[in-house]
Amino acid sequence: MSSPTGAEEGFNRSASRQLALYGVFAVLGFTLLMFGLNFAAGLTSTQVGGVAGAVDVENNEITAYIRQDPPQLNTTGAADAISGIVLGHIMEGLLRYDEHGDIAPGLAESWELDGNRAIFHIRDNARWSNGQPITAHDFEFAWKTTLDPATASQYAFILYAIKNAAAVNAGELPLSEAGIRALDDHTLEVVLEQPIAYFDKMVAFTTYFPINEAFFRSTNGRYAADADTMIYSGPFKLTSWVRGASLRLEKNPYYWDHDRIRLDAVNFAYITEDTNTLLNLFKDGRIVLADLTAEMLEGAMQQRWILDRFMDGSVFFIDFNHRPGRVTGNLNLRKAMQLAQDGNELVDRVIKLPGYLPAKSLFPVWLKGVERTFQEEYPPPVPEYNVALAREYLEKAKQELGLAEIPPLVMLADTSPVATISAQYYQQVFRKNLGLELVIDQQIFGQRLAKMEAGDFDIVLSGWGPDYNDPLTFGDYYASWNLNNRGRYLNPELDAQVRIGQSSLDPRERMDAFGRIQQILFDDAVFIGNYERGKLYATDPRVKGIIRRAIGAETDFTAAYIDADGR
Amino acid sequence: MNEPLIPALTPEDFTPVHQREDVHGLSRPSRSYWQDAWWRLRRNRRALASLWIVVGLLAFALIGPLLWRVDPARQDIDQISQAPGADRSAVIVAPYQPWSGQPTAAAPVQEGVLRLGDVPTSQAVRLVWDALPGASGYRVYRNDYPIDAGMAFGLPIIDVMASGGGHYEDRLNLRPGTYYYSLVVLNEFGEITDRYETRQVEVPRVITEDEVRQRGLVPEEQALALGDTVYLAFHPLGTDYLGRDVLARLMSGARVSLFIGIVAPFLYVLLGVIYGSTAGFIGGRLDQLMMRFADFVVALPFLLFMILFQVVFGLGPGQSGIIPMMVALVLLQWPATARLVRGQILQIRQEAYISASRLLGAKTWYLVLRHMIPNTLGVVLVTLTFAVPNAIFTEAFLSFIGMGVAPPTASWGSMSNEGLATMLTHPHELMFPALFISLTVLAFNLLGDGLRDALDVRMRSVE
Repeated sequence: MSSPTGAEEGFNRSASRQLALYGVFAVLGFTLLMFGLNFAAGLTSTQVGGVAGAVDVENNEITAYIRQDPPQLNTTGAADAISGIVLGHIMEGLLRYDEHGDIAPGLAESWELDGNRAIFHIRDNARWSNGQPITAHDFEFAWKTTLDPATASQYAFILYAIKNAAAVNAGELPLSEAGIRALDDHTLEVVLEQPIAYFDKMVAFTTYFPINEAFFRSTNGRYAADADTMIYSGPFKLTSWVRGASLRLEKNPYYWDHDRIRLDAVNFAYITEDTNTLLNLFKDGRIVLADLTAEMLEGAMQQRWILDRFMDGSVFFIDFNHRPGRVTGNLNLRKAMQLAQDGNELVDRVIKLPGYLPAKSLFPVWLKGVERTFQEEYPPPVPEYNVALAREYLEKAKQELGLAEIPPLVMLADTSPVATISAQYYQQVFRKNLGLELVIDQQIFGQRLAKMEAGDFDIVLSGWGPDYNDPLTFGDYYASWNLNNRGRYLNPELDAQVRIGQSSLDPRERMDAFGRIQQILFDDAVFIGNYERGKLYATDPRVKGIIRRAIGAETDFTAAYIDADGR
Repeated sequence: MNEPLIPALTPEDFTPVHQREDVHGLSRPSRSYWQDAWWRLRRNRRALASLWIVVGLLAFALIGPLLWRVDPARQDIDQISQAPGADRSAVIVAPYQPWSGQPTAAAPVQEGVLRLGDVPTSQAVRLVWDALPGASGYRVYRNDYPIDAGMAFGLPIIDVMASGGGHYEDRLNLRPGTYYYSLVVLNEFGEITDRYETRQVEVPRVITEDEVRQRGLVPEEQALALGDTVYLAFHPLGTDYLGRDVLARLMSGARVSLFIGIVAPFLYVLLGVIYGSTAGFIGGRLDQLMMRFADFVVALPFLLFMILFQVVFGLGPGQSGIIPMMVALVLLQWPATARLVRGQILQIRQEAYISASRLLGAKTWYLVLRHMIPNTLGVVLVTLTFAVPNAIFTEAFLSFIGMGVAPPTASWGSMSNEGLATMLTHPHELMFPALFISLTVLAFNLLGDGLRDALDVRMRSVE
């Protein structure tokens, strides 16, 4: 290290002065740039004007979000929850669910269910969004299109209650043989395969919505591909659909009950599932509601947000692979695993969301029985958390299987945050209590279903949501013919009970059958209940009347209105 | 001018000069290149501090788990998302018993519609209420803050659709502290009305004797009685969202991070040195060809290759992506070193001492081993030190986006990812792993800087 000479020293001093000056300039420049950019951003967003705020009092419209782009809005095939939300606003069927979750008249002003024959009387003032009347022929056309083998609808089975529908769908009978007939423009006659007690509830499902034949043909196969290629029977019409970006719904002036609708427009301006993004949008006042995750609760309380909850109706459980050759086919192993976990702990200590309930049964708490709720009438048998007993069962299982140790089990789960922590929680619980090793296989939702279908798992974190408001929508899950029974559980005794639930007209007899199904599932340790999913969400205090429910459109703004003075 | 060109030589001129003894006497001890470098490095305070940090990190990863024997995957359900230094005391109570809904004898005597049905504990808070006129049902809310005029009641815990008096047992994630419970009247459609009652509840932390024994919180022989105070397991840096010990996870994460951070650069720098010196030494068309191939590798997108490697490796469930990550790093990161070394070799090849050595009959191998590699070693070592933080950061980044280790294995990146969700409410879960990543990357960078100053005299920054 050489000692600097006088000249060097002088140079060093001037250099450091210069450097300091540069530093000051840099900081100042950055600050200016920040303000400049912020200003510019403010300018552009007001110029575009589309992203004003969650509530536009002047134009009487609100802005919300939707989790994904709707996969399809063609009612012959759409059956997912996202499409259901949009369709619930823009379409209406013969009957609908009202704001209290009860069946109410929709386009049909009255109906008669008489044995295996149902008659629907369609309103005189039912109109499509282009002003044409909605007739019984539109329903006949829509349902027959769904059943047409050429349409290849994945949800055609929901129409199988109708006479010959299954055979028509399989191509064994011509379309004209299906039991659907428009007697005149305002009368629709449906003949059922056998009397069904809950047919009125099924009719409110999206697959039963009407389609105008002339319009359908005019789109040359592009029906419901975008906002222009659809006409609407519901309270709103879709005026813009930018794929993957936004949807805009405006009030449909031709809707028969348009006085009921108090909003002029609903913007689904954001399509994202990211909960943090949604939280920030809500914080900035860009959307009227946002679902919260457990980590956000403390912050939400601190911000004094108005919080609400609803059960989305679905039940989540650990499904076993019952295929031959899998160790999970062993009853004692399943029983051991059932007893070695405590459902309350998962919900109260790990998931920590107030909306969630421990799943005691395949039949969720909100299902109605004969008079009271199903669970009140048929209290579910609950496995008692008992590690010692669980270990006894495990020993028995090892003996029966002839194994010294149970090989590591593959646990399939999807990538949602709750599935992730549940999987890690169970991995640890079964290791600690039973010495079982679980290998977690996390896959995106679609891939999880594909792997379940292929039987490529030992246990899976699975779930089931209702299609209609009847216990059967859960009761037939483990029926041997149900393709959703992806663990391939097979039990003729259970199948027999499902048949009773499907065909009986006596509510008591049906509920008894579901009660027995509940017992069989418990005795056979067919699954381990995890939780019933609830959602906790924050709402903008200026918007009232937002409905969130298990059956029908999950988020429903048709009864919402703006109360500008609302705090 | 007239002097002859060649001076007249006498035979004396051809006698050997007598050897002088004094020339071998050096005033200071001779130092080798490495000794010199070490001396320079030690003079650099920043580099020395960084060196100690690196040594400390290695000790943290390798010796730490021997001293802090906590399983990084063990979940302490009693202490979830616990900040460091939080109160750990708990009072022993009887095991949880299901509750009939009738107020117990121990329940505090209270006025009002909404009352406690039992002594509140972190096991359960039991509420009972009387019927309110006009109610079809009730919704119970729980809040961390007092209810103000805005009617923000906090978390809606449960809806009870029964018009009469009722009861509810709250067991949801109870932590010691103060809660404000509200009972809001629901109308016949289950919609909330503006009629409500609130009650403030102090919740102490409790634990049962069984749980104390199970978790080994007290010595086996110690007798316990109801009402005794015990201390829960100690977590010096708190716990994460599943109640896992953050310190233990940081240690096991350090192993993953440092393994990737040291092994991968070592391998790809080695590959780069071999490749670059071959190209540089042979030169000519082969050199051109090899360097164009290196350019091609530089152009490959790293992230895309990571994903492809994961696919090709056929990673099964629960397998961690460490090996593919390493393969991708080695296969894609070597060209920088190769270029550097080639440049060095090309330069050294032209040096006079190489020609001299060659003239004296040195073989190729001797040249390479004696002259070329030792002369590039300084540059290589500097590259290696800069490659380490780079690799650690890459690992953290990949684990952060979920392409690294599989649960329950921890790595600093995956811990940061998990901590991100609770950043606002439990910042320690993000802060510690982030701090470790930053510290490691900074230490290795400063050390690399110091090494460059010490080893590579030409590249030294003037201070």
